[in-house]
Amino acid sequence: MKNFNLGTLVAIAGISLALVFAPSLLAQKKMIQVKGSDTMINLVQILAEEFMSKNPQAAIAVLGGGSGTGISGLINGTCDIADTSREWKQSEINQAWEKGITPRLFAIAVDGLSIIVNEKNPLTKLTMDQVGSIYRGEIKNWKAVGGPDMAISLYGRQSNSGTYVFLQEHVLRNKNYSTDMKEMNGNAQIIEGVKADEAAIGYVGVGYVVDKATGRPMAGLKILNISKDAKSEAFSPMDKKAVDTGDYPIARPLYQATNGKPGANIAGFIQWEVGPEGQTIVEREGFYKIGDAYKQMNDKNLK
Amino acid sequence: MNLKSIPKAVVLVFLAAVACSNLFSQQTFSTTIYFDWSANLTNDGYVTGTDAARANNNKFQFRRAYFRYENKISDVLKFRLTFDADNTANITGVDFTKLSTKKDDKLRPYIKHLYLDYSGLLPNSNLKIGMIDTLTFKLAEDVWGYRSVAKTLVDGYKDVTGVDIRASSADLGGHLLGAISKAIRYGVMISSGEGYTHPEYNSFKELSGQLRIIPIAGLSFVGLYEYEKLDDANNAIMYKLDGYFEMVKGLVIGSEYFSYNNDKFMNADLSHYDSRGFSIFGSYKIVVDKFNVFARYDHYMPNSTKSSSNINVIIGGFDWTPVHKSWKIQPNIWYYAYADSTRKNDAYFNLTFFLSF
Repeated sequence: MKNFNLGTLVAIAGISLALVFAPSLLAQKKMIQVKGSDTMINLVQILAEEFMSKNPQAAIAVLGGGSGTGISGLINGTCDIADTSREWKQSEINQAWEKGITPRLFAIAVDGLSIIVNEKNPLTKLTMDQVGSIYRGEIKNWKAVGGPDMAISLYGRQSNSGTYVFLQEHVLRNKNYSTDMKEMNGNAQIIEGVKADEAAIGYVGVGYVVDKATGRPMAGLKILNISKDAKSEAFSPMDKKAVDTGDYPIARPLYQATNGKPGANIAGFIQWEVGPEGQTIVEREGFYKIGDAYKQMNDKNLK
Repeated sequence: MNLKSIPKAVVLVFLAAVACSNLFSQQTFSTTIYFDWSANLTNDGYVTGTDAARANNNKFQFRRAYFRYENKISDVLKFRLTFDADNTANITGVDFTKLSTKKDDKLRPYIKHLYLDYSGLLPNSNLKIGMIDTLTFKLAEDVWGYRSVAKTLVDGYKDVTGVDIRASSADLGGHLLGAISKAIRYGVMISSGEGYTHPEYNSFKELSGQLRIIPIAGLSFVGLYEYEKLDDANNAIMYKLDGYFEMVKGLVIGSEYFSYNNDKFMNADLSHYDSRGFSIFGSYKIVVDKFNVFARYDHYMPNSTKSSSNINVIIGGFDWTPVHKSWKIQPNIWYYAYADSTRKNDAYFNLTFFLSF
């Protein structure tokens, strides 16, 4: 190399710039990044705020985007905790394995997945099979399930949503959703759509449709009772006992996942969430406390 | 590949697939662009010491623009169309050193991907048919993660050595990729062998097979075998072995080794030679989504019987996201060392701008 030229000077300037900025960038590393399920985002934000108010040294950022987004974030190292309202798919477990990620799951709440219709719809209940047939597009008119003579208008989530996948696996029997379904960005959009459309049906986490002041369904909506089959009794997702016993057939755990055994900061937050204070908030926000089986799973995965 | 060179039937099938897909299915558009400001750090090297290089120093250089349309037709069927814009002089044979301003110097879009992706054939598998990614260096490129800075070893082989080892990133054909378990992955492919820059001109096909073993989380070994019949008398075979280490949070280390045997590769004395090479690369996320560093060492052996043709390339730089992940600044330095003692070493600086939205 004979002399310094413009390129050399720019290269040196760039590297110097990086060294100047690096310390302030490194300082951002301490924040716990939580990403994922839109069903869980409000709940986890409230849990995080409460936890931070009691632990001023803690810093937690909570983002949504859907369960799939959270899982991708954990695999790609862009978050520390993935919120998921469904189990991990085999393809995601495989991808995590490639990237050296060994997910550990913690159940922090239980959700009664709610099937909602417009409050003007006279229908009060459906069977699991009927819900599946409606969302597969096999039943297209409310009259076929005892409702008014009106074409059914389907509202659902996009495929990165854990709720989309959970319903597909457990209610649609792994078959495709009707291509007529309107794929909404979030729970709030589904609720607004169902409120505005008399022919609508939608699905959201129970915490989104219960008015916390009255303990009743939100104005403009009706939450349908769901039965396992035509011979069984139909139950509401607002019936805590039915959710606990499994009589309400589409209840599900809400998970957080970490990469391997969580470090002290993350473990501290999760332990608080699944402890008495966190679980009180879970119930206050319209979801349900975890049972003994999930408590044992959490304890095992925290060790 | 130019649109005109794709068989009409293939185009019709894909257009029909797009047209039949429901309006409510998930459709996405995305764009990725990268370009450099480049300057030579040496002025007496094998390349940088030429009059043309001196005249062409301190320049903006457009590298790539991808425009991608994806349509999720159903949970098991997807469609992808990617236009890739490059300086087509690379394809049309315009001589850059003549600083031509002819129309062929323009940046033009061509089709990089045009395929259907079906995931319902076998559990945990994807069958892709159309203009698809080849198996040759897709995995290495994903692990390296800095295509915006440098092509991977096999992809960029011709650029560095001038030896065409007939490796393309995309080709017309079909492949099946899948997982037998979380520790074992496979891939098989049949394609025209012409890549995306030319239509097929003979009946010979390229066959590829790939096996990936991941014995423990984050540690992968990949073996690749490719066979192509070039004409009635000549074949080309490539063996490739990759290893990836991703067991430490934020740290990625990868390596590639390949050997390419082409029956047509002959020295002046009619002795046969292979082309080989290996690469070791790594990156580390110092601050996630904000600041990463990367480095790479490549060793090129374009003629296995002539070690003086060997070339070493070292690349290093960092990746800074100042505001939003949709644009990044990736300053990087390249250093070329030649085994041929008559060639002086070269060094370049690139200020790479990466935009994705």
